[in-house]
Amino acid sequence: MKELNKLFDRIIQRVNINLRELEFDVNPLVSNLIPTQQMTKFYAFYGLTPHHPLNFVFRHSNLSGSYFLGKVRVTNSLLYKSDIRGDELKQKGDLFQYQDFNIPVDQDEEITIDDSFLIKTLVHNFSHDPETLETFFVRDTVSTHYANIHGSPSDGCFMGPFSTVDLTTMRDCVVGAYSYVQAGEISHLNIEPGTVWVRLPDEFNFMYRFPSDLLTSYIYFKPGNIPQGIFMDFVEDRKAAFEQVFNIVNFKAPVTVPDSASVDRFAVIKPKTTIGDNVLVAQRAFLQNSTLGKGANAQENCYIINSVLEGNDVTAHGAKIIEADLGKTVFVGFNSFLRGRPNARLKIGPECIIMPHTIIDISKPLVVPPGHLVWGLIENANDLQANSISLKDLSKIETRMCKGRMLFEGSGKTFVTGFQERIHHILEANGAFFANVTNNRGHAQRNQNISFNTIQPYPKGDDKTGLYPTIIIQP
Amino acid sequence: MKNYLVKELMVPISEYATVPEGATLFEAVLALENAQEQFQQNRYSHRAVLIMDKNKRVIGKLSQMDFLTALEPKDENLIQIRKFTQLGFSRKAIALQQEEYLKSSPPILDVYSKAASMNVTQFMQRPTEGEYVDENASLDVALHQITAGANLSLLVTRGTEIVGILRLADVFAAVYHSMKESESQKANGEAG
Repeated sequence: MKELNKLFDRIIQRVNINLRELEFDVNPLVSNLIPTQQMTKFYAFYGLTPHHPLNFVFRHSNLSGSYFLGKVRVTNSLLYKSDIRGDELKQKGDLFQYQDFNIPVDQDEEITIDDSFLIKTLVHNFSHDPETLETFFVRDTVSTHYANIHGSPSDGCFMGPFSTVDLTTMRDCVVGAYSYVQAGEISHLNIEPGTVWVRLPDEFNFMYRFPSDLLTSYIYFKPGNIPQGIFMDFVEDRKAAFEQVFNIVNFKAPVTVPDSASVDRFAVIKPKTTIGDNVLVAQRAFLQNSTLGKGANAQENCYIINSVLEGNDVTAHGAKIIEADLGKTVFVGFNSFLRGRPNARLKIGPECIIMPHTIIDISKPLVVPPGHLVWGLIENANDLQANSISLKDLSKIETRMCKGRMLFEGSGKTFVTGFQERIHHILEANGAFFANVTNNRGHAQRNQNISFNTIQPYPKGDDKTGLYPTIIIQP
Repeated sequence: MKNYLVKELMVPISEYATVPEGATLFEAVLALENAQEQFQQNRYSHRAVLIMDKNKRVIGKLSQMDFLTALEPKDENLIQIRKFTQLGFSRKAIALQQEEYLKSSPPILDVYSKAASMNVTQFMQRPTEGEYVDENASLDVALHQITAGANLSLLVTRGTEIVGILRLADVFAAVYHSMKESESQKANGEAG
């Protein structure tokens, strides 16, 4: 255990050095979050498929309960129940388009994690930084519960619980709890908790900030305590179901899964769930008494309960949908929390975009009209009016617009088109448009043939307890 | 060009608006108004109030900008909104968000009333090292100090004592008159 403690101290010191300009001290926030004894309890596991490059290198690290896929190198790091999913990494020979450049990729891209502490964090997608095409790096970084590092190389950063950094290279930044950032490149910024910020320089800039007094009911994170609030209670209440799934060696999906669909063996599928064609259900997703129509997907840490998704709906990483009916092609962004009630269902019309990190928490029935963009905190029809706009109207904005706590500047048309194209790309990558054996294969089809191996740390007994030995896994 | 000395251009402290450190913001503004009325002969009116401690030493300065800033509504949200430039928003966009936010804020007269009763020391600027100039310094030195520090005025010292204020307007007028005189002499010389 001594080595594990030394490793923790080393990581914290390195992150604090990076964040000294922001006068941000990581230590009081994370020192008691995961006791080191807890890090010795769980095995790590990796996926083997015929479709993804295989290359794992683990050195001087703890990987407790974490999952790896693709090409991943971890050094001097603590990874606790994190998903390092390298199934969208660039491959040798790909062309990366950046502005007017088409840059050839010289070798298979690799996720490298150095001197970092990731807690229940998802690392996914690929580096969008043209300066580091073949390496998706995460170094000197601490991330906390249910953070998403999505296509975002990170150096010297801290991420609060339920935060997301998406398609953005970040250096020396603090991203507060439940903040979402998609801004291309950021450095030396302290993003306040509850900030939703999407920027494409010279094109558009969208921002919403949650009222801090209301957000604390959902997520509250202060030094000395683990994150608290409705989000944490919600996932903790369903934790036991995941423990069962992880303890079973031979898994069989409890529902009928069409040949064109994929349900990960580390997902929780409760009774009365229906899986349509081309559906993708990722590991750590939770489905209960719900219908996923053709081409719908549920990504990591998603919860879909007592709900109907008509088809081609994207439920992005960490999104939760409860007592809701979604029309076709509804996008529910990262870590959104959509909660209807049995007698107050939430109905979302087709082609709607629910912005990442949106909270809809209602006690009376609510209908979101088709083709709307929705953001922020919505508890009733008035809130919906204040926190939504039709995509048609948004497309007409050419200068700037302010609606309540939301500020938009730039071209609405470019913003809407960009979102719609990305949603189409996600559906395509997930295999939602799969038609036959050769056409439009995506994760839903490729992830069917996957096997898992487990790896274990040194057992109790000496200084190395909890550390994994150096492990190199190659074809 | 005539090179004036600072003491020839300064406003003596006895003629300047001053208030004790215990004064309210409103009392400071009244003192400024009073000083302006008594100083009508000068085309450049007073634009600041000096704040004195109990030993009659200058401890700070309240400018018109400080006064207006004091009246700006302040809360955590507005502070955050004003930081939006870091996130790439234009000043116009920030003004729009601020306007939207202020719709739900207390009436502006209430804000004025609250600010008026607050202590002036909360809003004053404490002089920094570059804001002092000796009374026997030349106009050139004062000019450099004002432009380098982007100051609207300098505190004029005699030893450790502050004896006057050198204002931007006084320096401007002196430089302008000197230049005019010099150009005029040059033109006469060329003509002769």
